[in-house]
Amino acid sequence: MKLLTIKIPAIAIVLLPHYAEAKPISYVGGVMAMQENDETGHTLSLDYTLSPNYAVGLYAKEEENGKHFDTIGPQLNTLIKRWNMPDGQANIFNMTGAGDSHYHGSDNFSAWSSILADYESRRVFTSYEIRGMYADHVETSVWQRARVGVAPYLANYDDLNTWFMVQVDDHPAKNQSFVVTPLVRFFYKTALVEAGYSSNHHVMLNWQWQF
Amino acid sequence: MRKILFTAALLITLAGAAQAETIKATVNGLVCSFCATGIEKTFKAQPAVANVKVDLENKLVTIDTKSLQGLDDATITKLLTDAGYTVTDIKREK
Repeated sequence: MKLLTIKIPAIAIVLLPHYAEAKPISYVGGVMAMQENDETGHTLSLDYTLSPNYAVGLYAKEEENGKHFDTIGPQLNTLIKRWNMPDGQANIFNMTGAGDSHYHGSDNFSAWSSILADYESRRVFTSYEIRGMYADHVETSVWQRARVGVAPYLANYDDLNTWFMVQVDDHPAKNQSFVVTPLVRFFYKTALVEAGYSSNHHVMLNWQWQF
Repeated sequence: MRKILFTAALLITLAGAAQAETIKATVNGLVCSFCATGIEKTFKAQPAVANVKVDLENKLVTIDTKSLQGLDDATITKLLTDAGYTVTDIKREK
């Protein structure tokens, strides 16, 4: 547990100078680094896009606000379906992985899988994710997350993009199962940053970087 | 005389083929600049590309090619598809 506690911030510090929730697949050959720090814990993932439909990567999370345990393992991200429209894009993704969950000095097999659906235009963003987690004796849970967002101005490619969003989480395994987090998202070229404050009084700070 | 005319015609043809051009690809799904950075990175990695510009407002990807090198429609379509987008039209200007 302590090892991951140290590792995640250390890796984040290395990557931070250059750049949190966006699409789990980028362009072919692209690498995406992401860190999420929110009321559920700290997540770090690094993904490499193999093809327009597949990305492979490493997923690590330090769970908080419930049982405190660390999970690490490889993950496969799959674009199940994409709709490219003149003024919008919609996607359905699957993210599935397996690895080790470390809890109270013991290692436990864990596996997770989620379905993420989103729709985005230049003005509106919506997403919904449902995620199942199995970690042997540690936790078996189903978690849901939904987001809606609006852009206050229509930014073009070279502009700083700003989004106001609200995220709603339902994760029964945590101390507070229903949590609302208003947040602001900024992105410019390959760097994305999100900051928010949750209804259970936790700061959210996410970042994502493509290279 | 015939040889001179033939050589001149050949040179004019080659000069035309080798001329740099501007290619405008209209793309569906082009709504997020963070996601579209893949387009810029992908095209800039092509030896034939001098410059690439993404325009979300007009759903356009403008590609300037280098002289003596070309980029055919099939390659452009594949690169944009691999980046996650759908090409609806390609226009060329010399």
